[in-house]
Amino acid sequence: MKPVRQSNGHLAWDVALYGMLAAVIEVSKLALSYLPNVELVTFWIIMFTLYFGLRTVYPVFAFILIEICIYGINTWVIMYFYIWPLLVLIVYLARKADSVWFYSILSGFFGLFYGAVCSIPYIFIGAMDGGIGSGLLLAFNWWVAGLRFDIVHGIANFALMLVLYAPVKKIFSRIPLPSWSREGKK
Amino acid sequence: MEEKQKGKFDKKALIGVLALVAAVIVLASVYFVFREKPVEGAKNITIEVVDNAGGSKMYETVTDAEFLRQAMEETKGLSFSGTESEYGLMVETVNGITADYAAFGAYWSFYVNGDYCMNGVDSQPVENGDVFRIVYETGAAE
Repeated sequence: MKPVRQSNGHLAWDVALYGMLAAVIEVSKLALSYLPNVELVTFWIIMFTLYFGLRTVYPVFAFILIEICIYGINTWVIMYFYIWPLLVLIVYLARKADSVWFYSILSGFFGLFYGAVCSIPYIFIGAMDGGIGSGLLLAFNWWVAGLRFDIVHGIANFALMLVLYAPVKKIFSRIPLPSWSREGKK
Repeated sequence: MEEKQKGKFDKKALIGVLALVAAVIVLASVYFVFREKPVEGAKNITIEVVDNAGGSKMYETVTDAEFLRQAMEETKGLSFSGTESEYGLMVETVNGITADYAAFGAYWSFYVNGDYCMNGVDSQPVENGDVFRIVYETGAAE
């Protein structure tokens, strides 16, 4: 059956796909939630971006909305709204690379500096009270307090990508997606 | 064969892995240099608990504890419990009042000398003269 193109340019097929991708991210996150900072969210977002391109931001936003429904609104929501789309953008720009080592190292660095990037909102929160110096100090202290978790995050990201990249890529290549639904690496 | 070639551990991969290891070492060094360090010896501290009705209860205690959790355990009249996690104890109940995030978006916030605690109770250092506030809060923290 030929997919029906909707007026907004997206296909009904795409909408269903985004829902499934968001579900994969969320289920993986919940399954590993008992292990702090060991997660498959980074892995899936990288793989989805390689396969579906920049449109991966749609399931990423859906994932964030599911997280908000579960955990409520707090500072982390601001962080999620820029850090995961940032990962999509980085991977999209580097999508020509096709090496398990490249993406493992990228995942590792992303985990290591996750806390640093997430500390940015605290610059503004602290600056509201005592100026930019206070903001930078607050962000720095917040980053340092979580550094040991960032190190675990980086090492876990590296190991998970190293183990899962090849088998998942192989499975993706077998998914019979129509050509118009692929924007990333074929 | 092509897949094997793409997954080959070449010079670039080696440099990348070494850079990653170097970054781990640098970040670990930053952590050990700049993290808040516990202070040994006796300390006089104040703990204020603000409950869900806005009522305040003050506790003065002398403790040798290096971290807040032990200091709270040693404070007479103060009771608390929660869930153990990899991050340490997640405090859910203080003086018999449970902050239920799932039902009411409620949680116990910890402040030290007016600033929001950046550590959990197991890793929050205690210094002489510290004033801690444990406040029942709801909704968005910021």
